[in-house]
Amino acid sequence: MTNGGNTPGEGAALDRSLLAAFVDGALSPEEAAAVVMHLADHPQDQAYVDDLIAANEALAAAFSDPLHEPVPEAIRAAIMGDGATGDAPAGEGAGHPGPRHVIPFRPRRPSAVRIGWALALAASVAAVAVLVTGRPGPSDGRLLTVGPVGDRSDLARALAGLPALEPWTLADGQQIMVLATVRTADGRYCREVEIVDQAAARIETGIACTRADTGWTVDIALQEALQQDGEGDGFATASGAGPGSAGPGSLEQFLDQQGAGEVLSPEAEALAVGSGWTR
Amino acid sequence: MADSFQHDLVALVPRLRRFALSLCGNRTDADDMVQAACEKALRNRAQFRDGTRMDSWMYRIIQTLWIDDRRRARTRGTAVDPELAALSDEGKAAALPGDRLMLVRVRSAMAALPEPQRAVLSLVAIEGLSYKEAAEVLDIPIGTVMSRLSRAREALLPQIGESGGRRQ
Repeated sequence: MTNGGNTPGEGAALDRSLLAAFVDGALSPEEAAAVVMHLADHPQDQAYVDDLIAANEALAAAFSDPLHEPVPEAIRAAIMGDGATGDAPAGEGAGHPGPRHVIPFRPRRPSAVRIGWALALAASVAAVAVLVTGRPGPSDGRLLTVGPVGDRSDLARALAGLPALEPWTLADGQQIMVLATVRTADGRYCREVEIVDQAAARIETGIACTRADTGWTVDIALQEALQQDGEGDGFATASGAGPGSAGPGSLEQFLDQQGAGEVLSPEAEALAVGSGWTR
Repeated sequence: MADSFQHDLVALVPRLRRFALSLCGNRTDADDMVQAACEKALRNRAQFRDGTRMDSWMYRIIQTLWIDDRRRARTRGTAVDPELAALSDEGKAAALPGDRLMLVRVRSAMAALPEPQRAVLSLVAIEGLSYKEAAEVLDIPIGTVMSRLSRAREALLPQIGESGGRRQ
C-alpha cells in the first residue's frame, strides 16, 4: 500500500495535483512529456497515476449505461415537439436499417469529408463497391489490417503523431491521413485513418484505438476501389468489428458502440499527441 | 419541422443522461432532470450562441436544476436507488458478483461525495471536460475545480482506485 511518502533513493515525487492534471489532460504537451519521463523512474507516482486512471474508468463504467441506449421517447418528444416525426431514420442507406429510435451519440460527421478528399486527388474519381475475399497480407500492400499495429510501421508513426487532416505521403506513394480523433466512453483514444494508394487504385479506411499498455490496435478496416470512370453507390464491405458489419455506416456504428465523444479539437489532439496518448 | 438546434440537442441526450445519473444516482430522477433541462433549453434557446458548445451549456442547465432539486429534497427526503440500498445490508452486498459489486461501490462512493465535489468530478473524470470548461460550466474559479477534484479523489481512490478495486 503506498502512503504517498518518498522512498529513499527514488528521488522527489511529484505533487499529486500535478499528476492529476497530467491524467486530466490539463498540462501542455511539453509538461506532459516531462511527466511521462518522470513516471518511468518513479513507480510510486506511476502507481498513483494508475490509481487515477482506474478510478476514472470505474466512474465511467458505473454511469455509462445511457450511452448505449436509445434516446427515451419522452425526452425526444419534449425536444422535437409532441407528435413530430421529422427526424431522419437511423440507418445510413444500403443494408443498414437499424432500430428506429437509435440516435448516434456523436453528431454524424459528413461523409463528404472523406469523399471530398479523395476527389481532390484526381480529376474524376468514383468509389465503387468491391468484395473483399481472402485474408489481407503484406503482399497486397494493405496497411490497415485488423489487429495490433506494428511498432515501427508507418501506420504507427501516423497514429502516434500525425495531426488530423494533414496528409502524409509515404515513400511508396501511398498517402495517409487521420480524419479525426475521438475518445471512447472509457477514456481510450480512437483515430479514423484513411490511406489512398493510387497505384493500387484503392482507398483503405479504418479505425485504430489505444489499448492500455499495448499501444494501437486496428479494430475495423474497410477497403474501396478507386476508378477513373463509372459510378458506384459508395458501398464497401468491412473486415473486423464483428459479424454483419458492412457498409459505410460501420465506422460510425463501431464508434457509437465505444461511446465515442466529439471529435477532438486541434488543441486537445496536440495535447494527446504530446503525452504519448497516455492521458 | 425540427431544426439543427433540436437535432443537436437530441444527439447530446445520452451524455446528458450519463451526467445526470452520476449526480443523482438513480435512472428515473436522472431522466426527469434531463427532460426538464431540455425543456428549459428550448424555452431559453435565444440565449444560446451558435458556435459555442451546446454540451457545456446543457451541463450547466442540468447542474443548476439539480442543485435546486437538492435544496427542495433536503426538506422532504430523497429517492434512493435500490442497488445503493443494498450496500447497507452487508449480506446482500456480499452476494453480488465481483464486477457488479464494484459498480455498486462506485455509485455509492459518488453518492457519498459532497455535491460540489461530485459535480466537478463528474464533469472532469466522466464527461472529460478540461478544468477551464468545468470552471465555466459551474461558474467557479479553476483553482476551486482543482481543489474539489483533489478532495473528491482523496475520498474515492481508497475505494475505487486500482488497489481499492481489487480489495474484496
